[in-house]
Amino acid sequence: MKLSDCHNFYDFRKLAKKKLPSPIFHYIDGAADDEITYARNTSAFDDVDLVPNVLRGVENVDLSTTIFGKKLDLPFYLAPTALQRLFHYDGERAVGKAAQKFNTMFGVSALATVSVEEISTMIDTPKMFQFYFHKDRGLNDSCLERAKAAKFDVMALTVDTITGGNRERDLRTGFTSPPKLTLSSLFSFATKPMWGINYLTKGKFELPHLQDYVKEGTSTNTSIGNYFSTMLDQSMNWKDAEKLCSQWGGHFALKGVMSVEDAKRAVDIGCTGIMVSNHGGRQLDGSRSPFDQLAEIVDAVGDKLDVICEGGIHRGTHILKALSLGAKACSGGRLYLYALAAAGQAGVERALDQYRKELERDMKLMGCAKISDLNRNNLRFRNK
Amino acid sequence: MNLNDCHNFNDFRKLAKKNLPSPIFHYIDGGADDEITLKRNTEAFDKCDLIPNVLTGIDKPDLSTTIFGRKIDMPIFLSPTAMQRLYDPEGDKASARAAEKFGTMYGMSTMATTSIEEIANVSSGPKLFQLYIHKDKSLTDDLIERCKRANFDGLCLTVDTIVAGNRERDHRTGFTTPPKLTLKSLIEFGIKPKWVFNYFINKKFELANVKHITDKGTNITKSVIDYVNEQYDPKMNWNDAEYCIKKWNGPFALKGVMSVEDAKKAIDIGCTAIIISNHGGRQLDGSVSPFDQLKEIADAVGDKIEIILDSGVRRGTHVLKAIAAGAKACSFGKMFLFSLAAGGQAGVERVLQNMYNELERNMLLMGCKNIKDLNNSKIKFRK
Repeated sequence: MKLSDCHNFYDFRKLAKKKLPSPIFHYIDGAADDEITYARNTSAFDDVDLVPNVLRGVENVDLSTTIFGKKLDLPFYLAPTALQRLFHYDGERAVGKAAQKFNTMFGVSALATVSVEEISTMIDTPKMFQFYFHKDRGLNDSCLERAKAAKFDVMALTVDTITGGNRERDLRTGFTSPPKLTLSSLFSFATKPMWGINYLTKGKFELPHLQDYVKEGTSTNTSIGNYFSTMLDQSMNWKDAEKLCSQWGGHFALKGVMSVEDAKRAVDIGCTGIMVSNHGGRQLDGSRSPFDQLAEIVDAVGDKLDVICEGGIHRGTHILKALSLGAKACSGGRLYLYALAAAGQAGVERALDQYRKELERDMKLMGCAKISDLNRNNLRFRNK
Repeated sequence: MNLNDCHNFNDFRKLAKKNLPSPIFHYIDGGADDEITLKRNTEAFDKCDLIPNVLTGIDKPDLSTTIFGRKIDMPIFLSPTAMQRLYDPEGDKASARAAEKFGTMYGMSTMATTSIEEIANVSSGPKLFQLYIHKDKSLTDDLIERCKRANFDGLCLTVDTIVAGNRERDHRTGFTTPPKLTLKSLIEFGIKPKWVFNYFINKKFELANVKHITDKGTNITKSVIDYVNEQYDPKMNWNDAEYCIKKWNGPFALKGVMSVEDAKKAIDIGCTAIIISNHGGRQLDGSVSPFDQLKEIADAVGDKIEIILDSGVRRGTHVLKAIAAGAKACSFGKMFLFSLAAGGQAGVERVLQNMYNELERNMLLMGCKNIKDLNNSKIKFRK
């Protein structure tokens, strides 16, 4: 199997599985507890049907949308995800360049393996920095200042990780950052020698936004769940978020809002966007899927800030359904991470190109020429 | 595989399967008929979604709740289950000690293999006694008196077992109490020599609470199905329940209530609690799952009686969903029995520790500082 055999999400996943040592693959692929929410994030889209219109003369389709004051050529973007250089040695460099090529937003995680400075000299398209509120206030200030100096367009504060989710696959594989060679993981690393050679020869593994402040994750091995539980400030509250929002002074979003009540408070403290997200099912298993919860939140705050639907997206039609309900855009992590692991920048570009083509094709089949043509009349819910 | 590899229900189940002779494993693992209800009991939780709140600034959630007049440190406790010494030589003692360590309730079955008095000696933690009404009525009075003297906190009367369920796995494996070594089962027992060794070198197996009244199940080998059908009183009615309540004169529950109508009657006769349960899917296959029925019952009587949800609970999030729908606490049987078979007292402690961790983690992720914060607004049901 090679890159040209990858036609959809599942193909990229298969190729990624072939390339990655199993603890790393399962870190991407896994979710919390019984992974019920992870599965629901995608299956939620199946309970809604699209109703196309015909004979609309749709020759050219405009997929562009504007979020956080920036025009994107695609109505979805690359959600910030951690540790990308573990998945491919180019990591964020590959993903950022691919995002620039398609002119969509690139989300950079606080747990990124390439620095905001390097990314901002590399690409000039829209960029989002994702922020974890640490106990170490010096670290928090440094992250904000560096992202500001590097001219990032959006700051997203993650609010669904005050403690680590129970990712049982990681418990079994012993996945840590940086990767630790235990007796049980040795075999899986040994069976992917190319990954090992690249990991050892293509530049040291770093977490450039954190490593001046904390050893965990770079020189001390830690699981991600454990990192969240020990390094992040569990007492984080609305006041802290409001302070960060005004300290940043630009487009500010809360990532991981799932209730109408919290969406309204996000408006009150000055946020310009929210990501309706359950962290890809990796935190609270049994929690509601973003798509199931989307309509209610859009109804309450959709005219006051940008509502992004994040998680579970495997297809262009999933994006069309979310946009029809009123999301401004969609985002996802696994939707490009498997592709990154499969083939670096070329992989991410192939994935983005396929989503673009799917969106274009499906917009034509729906009889819609631009994103604003999509609305709830296009949808039927089966169980209502 | 050892205890440290056990992170969830399926892990404990797998290790229990490794340790137990197959007839005994299947006695725990099986349900009635086609086991449709057994399966639904857990699946029912998947149709309910939790809605978390963020930025609530909770440092450490309080997981405590009060049932049967006793405060327990976490809203899940050990259901009364029969014959625990078949799963581990220490049986009920191991379970009771583990429960006490975690500040939660231990439930003792009439069919326990350790006596009421022995358990009172090893644990001063919260204790619930589960009563089956036998045809021999003197046994009921005797059990209630002994529980009083032993300072048990609550009594529950099981009302879903007037006849035995059709547990087909037991028909096939020939499971009996005490275990009988037939030619067919001999091989099964033979391949778990450690279990057989423990069974014979430890204290004799007996139904410790009823052995002075009946030899059956202790000296005379019986299938559980035959025991239930011969010994339990199928004519048991609301008057008998009321009799027990008066006699006991303390916190009292009916275990196995599934309808709003019966929940209301339970209040009328003076119950302080009901345990919504279908006996872990072991009695009436095709019956509704407790979680599917919970909200309707809680909406009708939740302000007048304590509601405990039993059957199908395997995750901390299941407990949170049940509480949000109106339960005060949950109880579980299979999950802790597998942990008992997997590692004795240490196994039960591990399962309770896992549950505690899950509950605490998920309360944080829900943004709830105590279980009172969990209410109808935190859940949504899908069709």
